[in-house]
Amino acid sequence: MASTATTKRLNLHEWFKTITFYEILVGMKATLSHLLNYRPVTLQYPHEKRTLPDNYRGMLALLRYDDGTEKCVGCDLCEAACPSRVIRVVSAEVPSEPTKRYSKEYYMDMTRCLFCGMCVDACPVDALGMTREFEWAVYDKRQLHLNKQQLLAIGDRSFPVREKRLELQHPNVAFFNVAFKHVPPKPD
Amino acid sequence: MTEFGLRLAISLTQIAAVMGIVVITVLILTLAERKVLGWMQDRMGPMEVGPYGILQPFADAIKLFFKEDIVPAGANKFLFTVAPILCLIPAFIGFAVIPWGPNQTFEVGGITVRPFVISDINIGILYILAFASLGAYGIILGGWASNSKYSLLGGLRSAAQIISYELNVGLSIVGVLILGGSLSLVKITDAQAGGFWHWYLFALPAPQIFALVVYVISSVAETNRVPFDLPEAESELVAGFFTEYSGLRFAFFFLAEYANMVLVSCVAAALFLGGWNAPYPGTIMAFIGLPSLAWVENTMWFAVKTYSFLFLFFWLRATLPRLRYDQLMRFGWKVLLPIALGNIVVTALAVFFFQ
Repeated sequence: MASTATTKRLNLHEWFKTITFYEILVGMKATLSHLLNYRPVTLQYPHEKRTLPDNYRGMLALLRYDDGTEKCVGCDLCEAACPSRVIRVVSAEVPSEPTKRYSKEYYMDMTRCLFCGMCVDACPVDALGMTREFEWAVYDKRQLHLNKQQLLAIGDRSFPVREKRLELQHPNVAFFNVAFKHVPPKPD
Repeated sequence: MTEFGLRLAISLTQIAAVMGIVVITVLILTLAERKVLGWMQDRMGPMEVGPYGILQPFADAIKLFFKEDIVPAGANKFLFTVAPILCLIPAFIGFAVIPWGPNQTFEVGGITVRPFVISDINIGILYILAFASLGAYGIILGGWASNSKYSLLGGLRSAAQIISYELNVGLSIVGVLILGGSLSLVKITDAQAGGFWHWYLFALPAPQIFALVVYVISSVAETNRVPFDLPEAESELVAGFFTEYSGLRFAFFFLAEYANMVLVSCVAAALFLGGWNAPYPGTIMAFIGLPSLAWVENTMWFAVKTYSFLFLFFWLRATLPRLRYDQLMRFGWKVLLPIALGNIVVTALAVFFFQ
């Protein structure tokens, strides 16, 4: 190619840079400066753990009220909100109280969960919570198919302070707190 | 017969000592490389085994010992077995002529022993070059016998690369040979005594600076190290010629690569940086009245020079990306070869007119 030959003039400066390996020396200076100012960014993970942010979205859990009753009313909204089809809810009436429903079975396939938190947002009674657990590596992935008891247990160990069951709430009526989410709490 | 037995015992002791030192150096190198690379990349390197990871080489060695030894289906079993040994022996055998310390002798039962060199043969450099080329056979045969396309490509690349760059290694050394007037590493090192201005890197009438640059670049290429690690390019060829090797056979290739690094560093130190000679005339030990301990200082200087070359290997690995194949060949034949030839001409003229 004649054009490249003409543009490639003998530039004394460039030529000197080439034969003295100038660019390579610049690179080697960079690596050496990192060696001399040794400040590793490594976190020695199992021995030291980083502080998690306040809104960390970790393992999902089912919650209870302070009197030990489950919050979940079996409305299936979490199942509808989930983009990965993690959740499966089998809803049923409470046997003695025909107006009240609960989740008879509640399954989560955590192999598919992407921790978006949309189920938590969708829940009308705040029955779902995201814990700060993240070390859930297992040898058998069937151990990540969680049932209701397991999810409640995660909630029990991660949320020791439980929400108070409101007095005005009739035990037979599910209390939907969606409308009251942005209302400042009553002074008691 | 007793004299023969004594000679044999002394030689075997020396060989065992040198092998031990080389293997320990390789152990240190595997850790040092990972640590230095890590520090240069703002990482920590191995930290788990022992305090600051210093027992990592032993953990690696134990792991390699107990790994399953796999011979791939369709492999040529004989050559597959022979190749790692063919690679390892030339890497270790070159250390026989390296002078580790001062050229002194002592007598044991009527036999003169030279403690710091196994054998001072008068064609030392030629011997090292010859065996270094034989190492290429191990790589090519290992690549071919594996019955894998990655291995074969790696072996072929390595053959072309080693043959191209060995020429430059040989030619870059010729300047030193002209100045030293000998092929024996002991004689060449002795001729550089008396301060760093006598080292062939700086020595008048013909400083071998260009020769050292050519030698270092070519030896990096010859030992298949980054940036010339085309035979084992991870991103292209999995692991190159030892893709199919596992366990102890892989360890042999690994050991051979690092032993080769140590060997070329030793040769560079002996030829260009005065070997075991200190950068000042004489030794401090002799100056303070302990001339019998001067060998400690001298061997330390040899170790310092060798390890600084080895550090350069790590440093280059942390800095430079891999060359393309045509760049590698063009650089070797069109840049390094003319420089090495020009260095020979200049050195020869300088020695002819000024010495």
